Amino acid sequence: MDFKQTVLDNGLTIIAEVNPDNVSMAAGFFVRTGSRDETPSVAGVSHFLEHMVFKGTARRSPFDVNREFDEMGAEYNAFTSEENTVFYGAVLREFQSRLVDLLADILRPSLRGEDFDMEKNVILDEIARYEDQPSYRVYEKLMAEHFRGHPLGNSVLGTTESIKALQLGDMKDYFNRRYSPGNVTVVAVGNLDWPALVDKVAQCCSHWKHFDVARDLPAAPRRLGRLPIVDTRINREHIGLMSPAPTSQDPQRFAARLASTVVGDHNGSRLFYALVEPAIADEASLAYDGLDGAGAFLTFISTDPDRAAQSLRIAHDVLRRFQDEGPSDIELQAAKNKIASSATLKGELPMGRLTTVGFDWVYRKEYVPLAAQIDKLLAVSAADVLDVARKYDMTATTIVALGPAEEI
Amino acid sequence: MSEQYFTQLLPNGMMLLGQKMGQVSSAAMSLVVPAGASHDPAGAEGAASISSEWCLRGAGGRDTRGLNDALDSLGCQHQESVLSEHIQFSAAQLGSNMAAVMDLYADIVLRPRLEETTFEPCKALAIQDLASLEDEPIHKCNLMLRERYYPYPLGRSIYGTEESLNAVTAAAVRQSVQAGFTPDGAILAVAGNIDWDKLCAQVQKLFGSWRGATRRIIKPTAPLGGVVHIHKDSAQTHIALAHRSVTISDPRYYAARMAEVVLSGGMSSRLFTEVREKRGLVYHVSTRYHSLKDHAGMFTYAATMPEKGQQTLEVTVGEIRRLAEGVSDEEMARARTQLKSSLVMQGESTSSRANAMTADWYHLGRLRTLAELSEQIDKVTVDEVIAYLCECPARNFTVLVIGPQPLDTRGLN
Repeated sequence: MDFKQTVLDNGLTIIAEVNPDNVSMAAGFFVRTGSRDETPSVAGVSHFLEHMVFKGTARRSPFDVNREFDEMGAEYNAFTSEENTVFYGAVLREFQSRLVDLLADILRPSLRGEDFDMEKNVILDEIARYEDQPSYRVYEKLMAEHFRGHPLGNSVLGTTESIKALQLGDMKDYFNRRYSPGNVTVVAVGNLDWPALVDKVAQCCSHWKHFDVARDLPAAPRRLGRLPIVDTRINREHIGLMSPAPTSQDPQRFAARLASTVVGDHNGSRLFYALVEPAIADEASLAYDGLDGAGAFLTFISTDPDRAAQSLRIAHDVLRRFQDEGPSDIELQAAKNKIASSATLKGELPMGRLTTVGFDWVYRKEYVPLAAQIDKLLAVSAADVLDVARKYDMTATTIVALGPAEEI
Repeated sequence: MSEQYFTQLLPNGMMLLGQKMGQVSSAAMSLVVPAGASHDPAGAEGAASISSEWCLRGAGGRDTRGLNDALDSLGCQHQESVLSEHIQFSAAQLGSNMAAVMDLYADIVLRPRLEETTFEPCKALAIQDLASLEDEPIHKCNLMLRERYYPYPLGRSIYGTEESLNAVTAAAVRQSVQAGFTPDGAILAVAGNIDWDKLCAQVQKLFGSWRGATRRIIKPTAPLGGVVHIHKDSAQTHIALAHRSVTISDPRYYAARMAEVVLSGGMSSRLFTEVREKRGLVYHVSTRYHSLKDHAGMFTYAATMPEKGQQTLEVTVGEIRRLAEGVSDEEMARARTQLKSSLVMQGESTSSRANAMTADWYHLGRLRTLAELSEQIDKVTVDEVIAYLCECPARNFTVLVIGPQPLDTRGLN
């Protein structure tokens, strides 16, 4: 395993983890931009732009872009979050240059008016699709409520109204403010040819003009919001809890990850025994999300509407008790083994390794080999985990409940 | 990539399969037993789902927590899935922990405790899972389509019904476990960082003395089929369609898979291009091939805002039908590369390999090598694809729609 890194004159960074044992390679263009970098009047533009990136360039029609990905037999896609927009593909080694050429080219999209108008329909359908998924709606409402007044509260998809009102000019302005080469990292992993990668990226991207890009990083608010949303079209009560957690730059993030696994892994965790094993809820899990200059613990519960209040009480008891006593040795060891094992399995596939290597760089400008990552995790003590739970107060939650329950 | 496969039939009928993969440190197993949802007795639909949960609530010398702790301490990522014919136990972990995990699965499958006290919560969870389905129209739509498309009860929903779940007893589920957890028809596949000789010896020791009933044969009745609209005040109209295809063991299988990829394999596929890119009708449209042992289908799903529902249905079906009019050489070439490349990339995952091996053995009674798959894909001609499409025409669709309004489906037969 070999790590490589270089920066082009215009500020575009290229990194790679070379692993000759793989049969495939994956590459991604990680753009450090997302809904948190939007103003309210263009809500959803980051995600809409992600779609438009596939709509052709000076050299390629939209159909050329799609066809070329498929001609390589690539597994490819893109995703947009609050903080990142990532375009990626995985191919057999022989297609490395073609994949990089294509990804690099589409990162300078034509943004044609007719494509914009047509794709708007697709975005509106995507918003409707999530509207039919209560678990996603809870997540979005929870972020909005917990981070109210903070950019992380912005919706990734935007709303039907904001998308309908969005103009092509708004999108071009956003692109010209955010897609600077200095705000993009090219990440490659797997069985790849490093010198060829650098040559190809330089050939395709050296003409990209550098400009400065800033991101507001205000401190996250400590809110204790309460937002019950009654919707009788929904069958179950979907509850989300959110509380502050270490940022993705904070060394305590390892302890936070372990805390989330002990308290809220899908199986064998404290929430599992308190809520799922006795069938009070059919789902109860807690995750840690390290963000840029902020962080959150997120709990999701799905339960009978008339047991919503009970579930909530039990979840809070679990959090309080964990904060009092911390993890047992058995719990901590099991959590470490679970995380290490899942990182190993994920790391055996270039597609799995790509986001880990990419985000280590985007958030911390560091490369950490998988083995070193696991060592850091194993070094965390029970006292460290207890520390993080107490310092951030996992019981100080914002709560969103969506479903038929009138009162919780 | 080297391909090292091993097979071993145990005297009791259980089949053991192995693949040694260089360069990985993990190992994954897939164990299937013939206790799937289509074996659920009438009136006890959902029994297989409850079984799969109940087996993990204590086995051998361990109670629920003891068993969870043991699996967790081995870093075991596990999942229990209920399929048509089988319950599938999947587990992935470091290769060095595979043997210890195997010991635990021998307990789970051969000596589940199935205690009265743990039954009620498992049953209650099954009832909640069924209720949750109402909040997942995409899942529900596709599930109900499959139930109506396949000869009954082969595609039956694994969730059971409110009535059956309320009525089902611990004794009935225990009986299901007894009848279905049997070596006759059980297949165990392990892929990754393994030592085959040691694995064989261990499996002989753990499962060699396993005795059980003869595998049950299901005699299905005619499919329910037809057109069903379920009213829901949803943001999208969810449209699911199924039509006939050929099984994995059919000589036309590879032609069917090529047709599937041309129709819906990537962003340059017919459906994505015509329904989404050119007309902006949907975010999601796809056709997926699915096969049981003796029946197979092409399953199409599209969702759109209600006012575009009728047009989406018509354009989608139009494209599926237009495929039989001709496929270009470029489309064939792309589909070949896509299929082969996806096989090679999945070949890097120990879990994918373990799952593929149990599926191969169940459907074909043998393992297909990557070389064989690749050769078969290369051999398919345009004429064979067109012939397949004419023999399995896009007619007599089974249709399931969830949304505010029904659609006019008269053009579908």
